[in-house]
Amino acid sequence: MNTLIVVDQPPYGSWAGREALDMVFSLAAFDQPSALLFVGPGVNWLRSNQAPSGINQKSVEKNLSAAPMFGVEAILADRSACERFGLTEATLVAGVTLTDSVPDTLDGYRHVAFAG
Amino acid sequence: MTEITASSDTLHIVNKAPDHPRFGTFLRALSDTDSVVLIEDAVLACTDPSLRLPKSCVALTADIDARGLQDLQPAPHMISYGDLVRLTEQHEQIISW
Amino acid sequence: MNNPSLPERNNEGFLEDANHWSPETARLIASEDSIELTEDHWEIIEFLREFYKAHEISPPSNRLFVKAVREALGEHKGSSIYLMQLFPGTPAKTACRIAGLPRPTNCL
Repeated sequence: MNTLIVVDQPPYGSWAGREALDMVFSLAAFDQPSALLFVGPGVNWLRSNQAPSGINQKSVEKNLSAAPMFGVEAILADRSACERFGLTEATLVAGVTLTDSVPDTLDGYRHVAFAG
Repeated sequence: MTEITASSDTLHIVNKAPDHPRFGTFLRALSDTDSVVLIEDAVLACTDPSLRLPKSCVALTADIDARGLQDLQPAPHMISYGDLVRLTEQHEQIISW
Repeated sequence: MNNPSLPERNNEGFLEDANHWSPETARLIASEDSIELTEDHWEIIEFLREFYKAHEISPPSNRLFVKAVREALGEHKGSSIYLMQLFPGTPAKTACRIAGLPRPTNCL
């Protein structure tokens, strides 16, 4: 049974995305196939060079980079949302798979859960 | 926001109030053959007939009761936690909004 | 817990700031649990320090700690038994405490 956790909110302004990380890491801890999908403003999680020490937060970019090691199968992002927020290959973190069709992506998962 | 449409035989579990942006995304993703369960803040949608939710839409009794909505007219279709579990077993895909 | 030669810690003995850690900190905290640090301990401690530098989190649970060690150091060291022998109790908690990392969030 595979699960897709969807993040549709930007980082740092709320705890929604951290909840998403908790969810996907917990699934991975019990070897449940799982992946993350970033849509809408949520794609801003995937911008490189985040330096949030000035707002006393840990870098979600660095947090997220632990996902493959924990067994999270994929980090996916909506291509059109990336374009909307000016994310290019040069500014996107490594290891992200872009999707051209969010509906097709959702169809591949038995469980889809929006975070936050 | 990306428009999201889901395949048929999908169970939508919604917990956001009707004016939450994600409630709109959910409504646009909904297709005729889908099932909908309103839980937590989403049961407030039962107070607004203009939302035109599908006839098959149901709400969790405990959340309706908790918010004093027991006597709504027309009364929403209500289900128990046990019913919710059975619904999740009967559907190919579940989207939790 | 009130050892004056140790940096500030919370009520469970975890450092308030991971940057204030030194190998001497590790020795002192380990001694509270009667653990004498060997090369095998240091290998895991160094792994955790690197992990924290890269990801700014502790492995959130014991299972994920074991998994991360397995990814980095292989099947033998990435096993509950091996890590339990080095870091008794809940290995993720004991090891993170000694390595100066924050408390793993999902460990009871």
